[in-house]
Amino acid sequence: MDIKDQLGSMRAGEISRRTFTRNLLAAGVGITAAPLATRKAMAAAGDQATFFTWGGYDIPELFVPYKEKNGELPNFSIFGGSEEALTKMRGGFVVDVSHPCNSGLPRWVQSGLFQPIDTSRLTNWGDVMPELVSLPGNDADAGNVWLAPFDWGQTSITYRTDLFEVEGEESWDMLWDERYSGRLGSLASGGDAWWCGAIKAGVPMDQIHTDEAFEKIAAVMREQRPLLRTYTDDTTTLEQALASGEMVAAMTWNSSATVLKAEGVPVKFASPKEGALTWVCGLMIHKDAPNIDKAYEVIDSLLSVDSGKFMINDYGYGHSNNKSFEQFDAETLAGLGLSDTPADILGAGHFQVPQTQEWETKMNTVFEEIKAGF
Amino acid sequence: MSDQTLQTRSAPVATPATAGRFGRLMQRSEASRGYALLAPSLIFLGVVILVPFGILLVMSFWTASGFGFDTNFTTANYQKFFERPIYTALLNRSLFISGMVTVFTVLLCYPMAYYVAFHVHRHKMLWIVLMTLPFWTSYLLRVFAWKVVLGYEGVINSALMNMGLIEAPLEFLLYSQQAVIITLAHAWAAFAILPLYVSLEKIDKSLLEAATDLGDGPVRRFFRITLPLSLPGVISASLLIFIPTTGDYITPALLGGPDGAMIGNLIQKQFGPINNWPMGAALSIILMLCIATISLVFILLTLFVRKRVS
Repeated sequence: MDIKDQLGSMRAGEISRRTFTRNLLAAGVGITAAPLATRKAMAAAGDQATFFTWGGYDIPELFVPYKEKNGELPNFSIFGGSEEALTKMRGGFVVDVSHPCNSGLPRWVQSGLFQPIDTSRLTNWGDVMPELVSLPGNDADAGNVWLAPFDWGQTSITYRTDLFEVEGEESWDMLWDERYSGRLGSLASGGDAWWCGAIKAGVPMDQIHTDEAFEKIAAVMREQRPLLRTYTDDTTTLEQALASGEMVAAMTWNSSATVLKAEGVPVKFASPKEGALTWVCGLMIHKDAPNIDKAYEVIDSLLSVDSGKFMINDYGYGHSNNKSFEQFDAETLAGLGLSDTPADILGAGHFQVPQTQEWETKMNTVFEEIKAGF
Repeated sequence: MSDQTLQTRSAPVATPATAGRFGRLMQRSEASRGYALLAPSLIFLGVVILVPFGILLVMSFWTASGFGFDTNFTTANYQKFFERPIYTALLNRSLFISGMVTVFTVLLCYPMAYYVAFHVHRHKMLWIVLMTLPFWTSYLLRVFAWKVVLGYEGVINSALMNMGLIEAPLEFLLYSQQAVIITLAHAWAAFAILPLYVSLEKIDKSLLEAATDLGDGPVRRFFRITLPLSLPGVISASLLIFIPTTGDYITPALLGGPDGAMIGNLIQKQFGPINNWPMGAALSIILMLCIATISLVFILLTLFVRKRVS
C-alpha cells in the first residue's frame, strides 16, 4: 500500500474503490489477526482450490475429474448474485475461480481483479463451442481469454399446464396476465427481470441503454408489480410456489422447469413468441489465486463431458463442451428445450448485451424503486 | 480509586517536603494506571465503532463514480433522500414495523415474565432458560421456520383448511408486513423477557401485601404498583427491540414480499447490485440519527419514570 499514492488520489478527488476496500481490509485483518498472532495461519481444507459460485454448482457431480486427481472436492463459497460476488471480491475476498455471466463480463474485466486464462492448460478447451468464446468482452484485451464459458441457458416462463390457460401462443404477456393476479412470480435480479421487461416492451437489446428504452421498460415493470405474488432471488422459493399451486407462472431459468418436471409437477418452460432471454456464464480466475494449478483443474473439470452430461440432463442447461451434446439423442434434447445444434438456440433468443457500470447502477436503482412500489 | 485512599497510602512514606510532589506523582500514576486498564476497551470501542462510523460518515458525503468514489464533499446523497419518495417511505415503513413489533413483543412477553416473577417459586432460572430455549437456534432458521408456518401450504393454512374453516389458503399470511411483524416479534422475544423479568422480580412484595391489606383488588394492585414499578423494564425491553429491528433486512427479504421491504433492504442493495456505497452510507447515517433520536426520547422517559417511581 503506497501512502503517497493514496494521498495523491485523495487530493485529485478520486480514489479507486479497490484501493479503499483494500485499506479497509488491511486495517480489519490487522485488528482481527492481532490476537491470533501466535496461532498458525489456518490452512484451507486439504489446500484445495476455492470455487466462488451460485448454490447448486457446489455438488460432487460437477467435479468428478477434479476429485479423481486430488482426492477431494474443491472448497466452495456461495453467492446469491454475481454483483454481490463482485462486491465481496472488491472488498478483498480472494478466491481461485469465480462464476460470472456474460452480461457482467466487461465490467468484471475492468475491475482488474482477474487474470487472463491460459487456454493451453485446459485439456477440454478444444471442444468448447467457439461462438461462446467470442462473447462481447471476452476479447477485451488483445486476444486474451478472460472467461472460460461453461453453462448457458434461457430465462423464460415456467408455468403450470394444469392451472394456467394459455391464450393463443406462449408469450411474455403470460407474466402480465391479470386473470392470474397475485399468482405470478419473478426473479428479483435486474439482470433477468429488467431484460425480460425489455423483450415484453419490444425494446431491441442494442437499444436497451437509451433513456427512451428505460422509460418504456420501467412502465411495463410498474404494470407487472401489482400482479406478482413476490420477487425472489431464490429459485427454490419459485419452484416450491409453482409446485404447491401458490403461483401458476413465474419467470425462471431452465433448471426450475427441469427440476419440477423430474418431480412430476405438470409444468412447461415456455418458448415465448417474442423470444426468451439467453445468457452464458463461465469461469474467471482471480488475479491473486492462491492455488493457480488447481484453479485450472476446477475449470477443466467443469468443462468436461461428465459435467456437461449432468448439466444437460439434471438442470436442463446448455453446456459449453460440444461433445456433451453427443451423449443425448435429438428427442431428449428437444424435451429439455435444447437442440443438438446449440447455436440455433443461442441465435433464437435475445442475447444480453453487456452494459456500463453507470447503466447497471441506474437500472438497479430504478428497478429497486419499482419493486418497492414507486 | 478515591483521593482519600491515595493520601492514606502515601502519607506514611512521604516526608513533609516531598509529600506534595510524591502525592501528585502517585496520583498521576494511579490515573495512568486507570487509563491503562481502560485502554483495551477504549481501543476496542474506537476500532469497532468509532472508526467504522467515521468512515461511513465521510463516505456519505462522497459520490459513486464507476468503480471508484468521487471524494469531493457534497450533500447530494442527503438531498436525494428528501427528493425521491422511496427513501422516506421505506424509512417510515421501517419505523412503523418496528414500532408494531415493539408493542406486540412487550405485550406478549409481559405476562410470561410476570408469571415467572410472581407465580413460580421453584426453579425460576429453569423457567427463564426454557423460555429462551427457542433462541438458541440461528436467527435465519427461525425466520425460515416462520416461512413454513405462514406459507401457502403451511401449518396455519393446512390446519384451517383441515378444520373446514377456509376453502382456499389465506394469502395475506406470507409476503406481507404482518408476516414481518409476527416473525420479528418472535425472533426478538428473548430480549424483552429478560429485562421485564428482572424489573418485575425486583418489586418489593410487601408493597403488594400492604395494598391488599388496605383493600386494593388485584386489578388496582397491578395498575397502581406492579405496572409503574416495572416500567423501567418495559422501557429497556422496548429499546432493546426497537433499535435492532428497525435495520433488520433478513426477515423482510424472506417474508416481506413486494410491500414488506424495509430500509435495511435498500441499504443492502445500495452496497450490492446498485453499487452506490455513498448513498448506502448516507441512508445508514440517516437511519442511525432516527434511531438515536427515538432512543433518546426513550431514555429521557426512563429517567423521568425512575424519578417518579423512587
